[in-house]
Amino acid sequence: MKFYKDHYDVIVIGGALAGLSSALMLADKGLDVLVLERHNLPGGIATSFVRGGIEIEAALHEMMSIGPAGNRLKVGKFLEDMGVNVDWLKVPEAYHASLPGIEVTLHPGLETFAREVDKEVPGTYDKVLKLLNLCHTVFDSVNELSIHPMSKPLMLLKHEAFVKTAGYSTAEVMNTFDLPQKARDLLAPYWIYVGSGFRDLPFTIFSVLMADYIGYGSYIPRKFSHEMSLKMAERAEAMGVQIEYRQHVEKILVKDGHVYGVRTARGDEIHADYVISAPYPNKVYTSMIEPISEVPAKALKMVNGRRLSLTAFSVIMILDKPAKELNIRDYSIFRGDTMDTDELYRDLAGLGPYRYLTCICHNYGNPDATPEGTCSFSITTLPRVDGWKTVSADEYDAVKHRVAEQMIDDMSRYFGVNLRDHILEIVIETPMTVAHYTGMWNGCIYGYAHTMEDHIVARLQTAEAERFIGGLEFAGAHQISGDGMGPAVTNGRKAAKNVLDDIKAKKEAVK
Amino acid sequence: MKIKGFLQDVGGASRVTKARLTAFEDASEKPVADDPIGRVAREWHPGKLELVVDRIYPVSPTAKTVRFVRADGQKLPPFYAGQFISLAFHINGETVTRPYSLSSAPFEARQEKGFVEITVRRSKGDGFIADYVNSELKVGDRLLGNLGLGQFYYEPLRDAKHVMALAGGVGITPFASMAKEIAHGTLDMDLTILYGSVSPDDIILKDQLAGLNCDRVKVVHVLSGADEGWTGERGFLSAELIRKYTKGDTSYFICGPQAMYTFLREEIKKLNVPARRVRFEVFGQAKDITAFPGYPQEKKGETYTLTVRRGIHEDRIPARATESLVVALERANIAIDTACRSGECGFCRTKVLSGDYYVCPENDGRRGADRDFGYVHACAAYPLSDMTIKIPIE
Repeated sequence: MKFYKDHYDVIVIGGALAGLSSALMLADKGLDVLVLERHNLPGGIATSFVRGGIEIEAALHEMMSIGPAGNRLKVGKFLEDMGVNVDWLKVPEAYHASLPGIEVTLHPGLETFAREVDKEVPGTYDKVLKLLNLCHTVFDSVNELSIHPMSKPLMLLKHEAFVKTAGYSTAEVMNTFDLPQKARDLLAPYWIYVGSGFRDLPFTIFSVLMADYIGYGSYIPRKFSHEMSLKMAERAEAMGVQIEYRQHVEKILVKDGHVYGVRTARGDEIHADYVISAPYPNKVYTSMIEPISEVPAKALKMVNGRRLSLTAFSVIMILDKPAKELNIRDYSIFRGDTMDTDELYRDLAGLGPYRYLTCICHNYGNPDATPEGTCSFSITTLPRVDGWKTVSADEYDAVKHRVAEQMIDDMSRYFGVNLRDHILEIVIETPMTVAHYTGMWNGCIYGYAHTMEDHIVARLQTAEAERFIGGLEFAGAHQISGDGMGPAVTNGRKAAKNVLDDIKAKKEAVK
Repeated sequence: MKIKGFLQDVGGASRVTKARLTAFEDASEKPVADDPIGRVAREWHPGKLELVVDRIYPVSPTAKTVRFVRADGQKLPPFYAGQFISLAFHINGETVTRPYSLSSAPFEARQEKGFVEITVRRSKGDGFIADYVNSELKVGDRLLGNLGLGQFYYEPLRDAKHVMALAGGVGITPFASMAKEIAHGTLDMDLTILYGSVSPDDIILKDQLAGLNCDRVKVVHVLSGADEGWTGERGFLSAELIRKYTKGDTSYFICGPQAMYTFLREEIKKLNVPARRVRFEVFGQAKDITAFPGYPQEKKGETYTLTVRRGIHEDRIPARATESLVVALERANIAIDTACRSGECGFCRTKVLSGDYYVCPENDGRRGADRDFGYVHACAAYPLSDMTIKIPIE
């Protein structure tokens, strides 16, 4: 029986957001694309599941880079351009910050946000707005330069703020604004979504994060992130992409420095000119390339020289009362007993109790998210892989329950309501859960840490030199733009662009 | 603008690029395939395992327990007491799966020479697999099993410390697993089992449960067809009887035949307990789909053509209106991944490209967007016209 064509232009390993974005873009240019996904549905962790008849979001908190209808940002625009029409709902606030001495809900819009911070810390409006505007300027530059690279002198002329802040950490740039500690704390809560403490986090990344989320707000699909993933997959298939689920790619076949196909766990050898891999470079270069002698030493040095970033631990609950009756009043609550991000980052290397939690109540973004009289409430922390690497299969359940209990108890104290008296359904997602469903290396959903030694600007500069095997591209959180569902789409587009550029270059060479 | 000084500011990009390249130069070129988190995930969820029948022994005049060990001698995966195993049987040229709650305890799987057990009752004419297990399966037979599946287990963060099991017939098995784990000291909960049977001969695992000698486990047999000599509880698992044995905050776990579910749903209502305290095991494959509301009776005699796409390959097979798409595929010997066969687990998620179908309302566990785009769980979907579907290549 023949299930595959003799040859494809491109094989994409992994049908999550990055891989599907690659597939959409390549199919749009008329290429013959095969997507092989190990699970039986698309999206990776951008998915949902059903418990007790209730559909529950698996991972998405807030989707960035979407923007309002008529004025879409890059991810929202790309999806629309590809004919993927997601029913986006705007998240009503930026976040509720619950930090030492602080209880306040802040809203998106740079001026709105600065005004609200000023109300808490009088006299800071101008400085905070100036900082946010700087972030926005850098954000605009990043977006433009990622499409239209230019020479350094010209860059300095046209993108001065971007160039002059590129070499500094978030802490270094923030220090020059001389803000009171409380105002700095109010600007910090989103740090966790980029996964490094401010002393190590490139200001460029902080800028993108703040300008995107605070400037434009965030969105969620009405029918959970599965709606987005499924609509991307459906659209890709309508454009001629072949998507096969439950196909686990074990080997990427290479000859004379160039890929020529893949082999799956069920033994199919499938040929293609290009392979785009969602599996981490760590996995590809240590066990997937066949023959392994085709892996250059430089590739191994690269993966060994980088630090894996964060994974996820979430307690997701359906509670048997409307949110308000349980004193849950916001879509997102960021709660920490300190806002020293460097200290918190160190803390994430352990196994709890975790001191920084992000909570989401979907009903405030989508009132129909759960049946009447109930609400959905999740508590998440994003630990580093280091601690969880030490947990054995026999200890796993006890550790998982201990951490989950600490998180539920912490939020129960905060609300003054014992959440455990209201749990209709509960699912505890761990790094191992991520690894089980997606195969992601060490359950790491965040790729490589954004640090001053692995800076996005440096990544852009050296990207070409890191394409070690001909025809092999990567798409996932481990790529230039890093983690998050918005960046996943951007990473997928970049991989597709590399393929398209390569094809174009080869055609021109033939001429 | 200025951060620290002109030269230092404009040199930033070069500085960070150099830092990155230096970090790579200094790194080792040894391949490090170190994924311990993935390894633990695979230890818990290894997928389909080859199992060998190690022992078969009677546990009542009508039921047998089958013990399996792992063919490769490796440790069996951990699971939660109450979860099920999906076993694949090869009968008359067909491969058919069935889910069975494990009647053995998790600690028995993880110990030296670990094993798992299922307990199966001879059917009264409606279960050809149950009969196969009871009469054909023999020691040394090999089959594939996927275990640690399902949501029917005690969750300490959610459930009351005291669980009352309402069991009927072979529905005792998940509670036997819990009871053994409690008696072993590795499951911290109290369990009262109200176990409904017709006559003393129908009671499964009676001696095993009685022999546990654990004061945290109490078993109450309730007979609906007992003779005069019976001194225990009589009748059905009524609200009145449930109330009699309830002590304080209690979670009710229900597992048994479909008729018992219909009865107990009404009885549970009378108890006035919060919804979070009541948990039903999945319903199981519908015995007679035509009995469900909205099923178009005029179609029940029909057989349709089902076009099945796998990759670029296509097959055409017959499909009866009264049998699920999974059954049609199994009859045609086309492999499809299945586990719960109750529409819940989603293993058999299938895209409908064209045609009409009916989804069993008891077993509709689909995601909202999946419904919108014509995805079904094939074990709970029934053809009402010629259809074209796409399923994964197995």
